[in-house]
Amino acid sequence: MSASDLWSIVPELWLAGLAIFLLLVDLLTARKSLVGVVAVMGLLLSIIPIGSLLTQGARTVIFGSYAVDGFAVFFKILTVIATALVVLAAIDWLPGRSQYEGEFYALLVFTALGLVLMAASTDIILLALSIEFVSLTSYVLAGYLKGDVKSNEAGVKYFLYGAAASAVMLFGFSILYGLTGSTNLYEIARRVANAPLPALYLSIALMLSGFGFKISMVPFHQWTPDVYEGAPTPVAAYLSVASKAAGFAALVRMLMVVVDPGRLNWILLIAVLSAVSMTLGNLLALPQRNIKRMLAYSSISHAGFLLIGVAAFRGDFGTPGLLIYLLGYMFTQLGAFFVAALIGQQLGTDDIPDYAGLSRRAPVSALLMAVFMLSLTGFPPTSVFIGKFYVLAGAIDNGLLWLAIVGVVNSVISLYYYAGVIRAMYVMPAASTVPLREPAALQVALGIAGLGTLLIGLYPQPIIDLARSAVLLLRI
Amino acid sequence: MELVVFGLASAGALAGGIGVIASRPPVRSALSLLLVLGSLAIMYLLLAAQFIAALQVIIYAGAIVVLFLFVIMLLHMRSGEGRVEKLRWQGPVSYVLAGLFLAALLYAIWTGAGPHMAEPAPGFGTAESVGRSLFTKFLLPFEVASIVLLVGIIAAVVVGRPLAPP
Repeated sequence: MSASDLWSIVPELWLAGLAIFLLLVDLLTARKSLVGVVAVMGLLLSIIPIGSLLTQGARTVIFGSYAVDGFAVFFKILTVIATALVVLAAIDWLPGRSQYEGEFYALLVFTALGLVLMAASTDIILLALSIEFVSLTSYVLAGYLKGDVKSNEAGVKYFLYGAAASAVMLFGFSILYGLTGSTNLYEIARRVANAPLPALYLSIALMLSGFGFKISMVPFHQWTPDVYEGAPTPVAAYLSVASKAAGFAALVRMLMVVVDPGRLNWILLIAVLSAVSMTLGNLLALPQRNIKRMLAYSSISHAGFLLIGVAAFRGDFGTPGLLIYLLGYMFTQLGAFFVAALIGQQLGTDDIPDYAGLSRRAPVSALLMAVFMLSLTGFPPTSVFIGKFYVLAGAIDNGLLWLAIVGVVNSVISLYYYAGVIRAMYVMPAASTVPLREPAALQVALGIAGLGTLLIGLYPQPIIDLARSAVLLLRI
Repeated sequence: MELVVFGLASAGALAGGIGVIASRPPVRSALSLLLVLGSLAIMYLLLAAQFIAALQVIIYAGAIVVLFLFVIMLLHMRSGEGRVEKLRWQGPVSYVLAGLFLAALLYAIWTGAGPHMAEPAPGFGTAESVGRSLFTKFLLPFEVASIVLLVGIIAAVVVGRPLAPP
């Protein structure tokens, strides 16, 4: 190990330092929103060391346990943006709901550190540790509103599911270690071709339960609606975006580096899981009345869409498509949850019928919500459209035409429930005409989410280039 | 001789494992866990990993089970009472699934054992090699573990402190 190794993990050190600094700021000030503002600024500043990694070649540092490549950098950027937006939204949403406001921001930044570690681990011990790290903070954040029974339920449920999924995943890791005698992913990849297939299949199946839990893939999705409904809305937004993205990062790295050399037919497995996730998530989303539950089921179906990109990893479209999809989905899904947070805060309800007449009571938010809903369906020119276009092209390119057809059919089905929200906002008569107050920080977060959704949709070229370079560097 | 010790240790581990999930009073579960962990320590000794065996006894058997017992004593005054069985069809299904999983595991072991298995490096599991790998190869996981512990403390404070009266 050399000093240059330390330079390569400056973003991680910065995030760890920032989180501890936030705890100190929280100690010294009575104005807790200041802690949130410091957190946002610190997160934005971390873009500088992250960006400086872009120009460097792909390599592993610290005895091969940590990757510095375009793939990891992409997920660092995504995580930092998502965390900053969620902190911004929470500054307006949280006061009065919890007595631990400062710790909330610190825990969010700590979670960001865990997610960044998860996306770049090339050692299964570090991977397991970082997944546990993220889980630990997520459990607490999901159950943050201690006086709220639903939030308590969310925290406990997430914890029980998560602990079981982690245990199963660790079992899978241990089998992999037993088969190859190494914990380093690249070392394992060299030896995995000699491993016996049944044990390898078992190990992959067990590991998939852990990753599947993080990305809320069917059949490990049952926690999603209950946790999203009960958790504080900014936390639900964060879980559905950042945690899912890091789960995909770890899954993709694992599958492509370790499993692919092992002569396994994993593509069909992932393709089937993808089709089932899309369809089941969509069908269960249809009857939902609660916006957070609806978004939870839709996030399950989007996990299925993203899995198309994993299954269709060969060629020029699948994996770049996955990255573009994740970035576009991040802005859109965060925006949708922020509108839900705004309405939940102002009207005290999460039911979609209560969104009636929103176009007159909060015109800007309603317009943005309509954009987010159209983007989630996959209408051009929005960000998720570009992502869907790429992963579907990847599926056709890889000979998975049936999967692409399932995807298109599911997009059409999803229009029904996304349009239901737009219908409530624009067509249904309002219960009252009093304009809603739209808090400043939440508005800024919403505006950035909307801008991201539209910009990626209208001018995707820089993002496509970034995703392409991120994929090229993946395999060292 | 080795086989006899292995047989005894694995029988102890299995018995303890069944005891953990089958016994009703939580205290008995915790003590069964002690049996599991002790038996595992013997297996580590058989694998010539003395240091790990010692750690197993000190940390798991010593500290963690004692912690479990304290928590049970503090929280569960009426241990094992008033549990209403709410699961109906899930019970049999879980037995079937667990049986299938066991079959898959046994099949994997049956077909998997062979000369391709990696040999451990010489000195594997001694205090020296554990220490060396902890501060070289696993430096980053080691440091991350310390951050996880710090976050765990903060999280425990947030979760554990009672709500302030309004």
